[in-house]
Amino acid sequence: MMKELKEKIVQRIKANFADAAEKNDFNYNRLDFTVKKETIPSILFYLKDEMGFIHLSDANCVDWLEEGELELVFIVWSPKDKIKIFVRTRLDRDNPVMDNLDMIWPQLNTYEREFREMFGVQVTGLEAPDEFILEDWQGPPPFRRDFDTAAYAEKTFWERPGREDAQDVRETIANRDGEEIPDFAKKYSR
Amino acid sequence: MVNDKNSQKIVDFIQNWARKHSIWVLAYGTGCGAIEIPPTMTSRYDAERLGVRGAATPRQADVLLITGYLTVKTLKRVIRVYEQMQDPKYVIGFGSCTINGGMYYDSYNTIKVLDKYLPVDVYINGCMPRPEAVLSGFARLQKRIAEGRANGAQQYKDNLEWYRANQKKIIPNWIMPEYNW
Repeated sequence: MMKELKEKIVQRIKANFADAAEKNDFNYNRLDFTVKKETIPSILFYLKDEMGFIHLSDANCVDWLEEGELELVFIVWSPKDKIKIFVRTRLDRDNPVMDNLDMIWPQLNTYEREFREMFGVQVTGLEAPDEFILEDWQGPPPFRRDFDTAAYAEKTFWERPGREDAQDVRETIANRDGEEIPDFAKKYSR
Repeated sequence: MVNDKNSQKIVDFIQNWARKHSIWVLAYGTGCGAIEIPPTMTSRYDAERLGVRGAATPRQADVLLITGYLTVKTLKRVIRVYEQMQDPKYVIGFGSCTINGGMYYDSYNTIKVLDKYLPVDVYINGCMPRPEAVLSGFARLQKRIAEGRANGAQQYKDNLEWYRANQKKIIPNWIMPEYNW
């Protein structure tokens, strides 16, 4: 019953959106479609208005550094059918541009601001203040994988130097208390 | 009274004695450490028996507790709050994050060494410090006040330029008022 329903949904989407590549495992309550960037608004509108996927669970950005792409993932949920659909699309990593989608779900506005600030995605037509969470941020988008947070923190903030006489005192303590350090613990020794 | 050294000593002693028994803490939590304050203040550990209690506004408070990690965004507000507080005022750095960054040592948006930006009188280490450790920190602060060594505010006034330069280094868009004491 559930499987038939899912197959029906897949058929309907494939009939309407020719470029939707599916990668589905019918054992889970979850369907997965990858589409082109241009199809995103129409497929989300279609899912919401025609097929009852009225709830936006999440919208995320994934950085595929090796492939030079950013992936946007929109997760929608149908309360009637109890099925979740992942709609994915890939953007060029060097020049990521997406259209504003907050007319579909107003809460997408927040997610788009996060994409813009944390991943450097340009959202055309987004009406929102420039800053989202970070204030006075001047570095590169911090959630991209090639952003080295440790190096940035070292450059920007003071670091308290460690104690010079900091030593591994476990052996001393073990000798004092007459204990034995187990073998598995020795390899973590400094 | 003759304004000589000995009488000043007596005045200081009485002043510090009074100050150390009424430490009013500003009810302002910056990080996760604020969760340890309710058990410290309520009946189990009852910090009020030491004269430690909450104050609603910066202008009524004596102690600014920096409870945990401090993002650059929060640091701006903390500086503003600290400068509004009236003498006598003390800062307690609370938790590992204020001492050396703690588990956020490689975060792009949290400071690591608090005493570069604000004068810290007492540090309490731990992640998180338990209420016993918090009380011990308050006791240490009281001791320092009694000895007249909790003079962070004076240090801040004397070295304002140095502190300002450090603060402005990580807050490029400085829109706060410039005080001159």
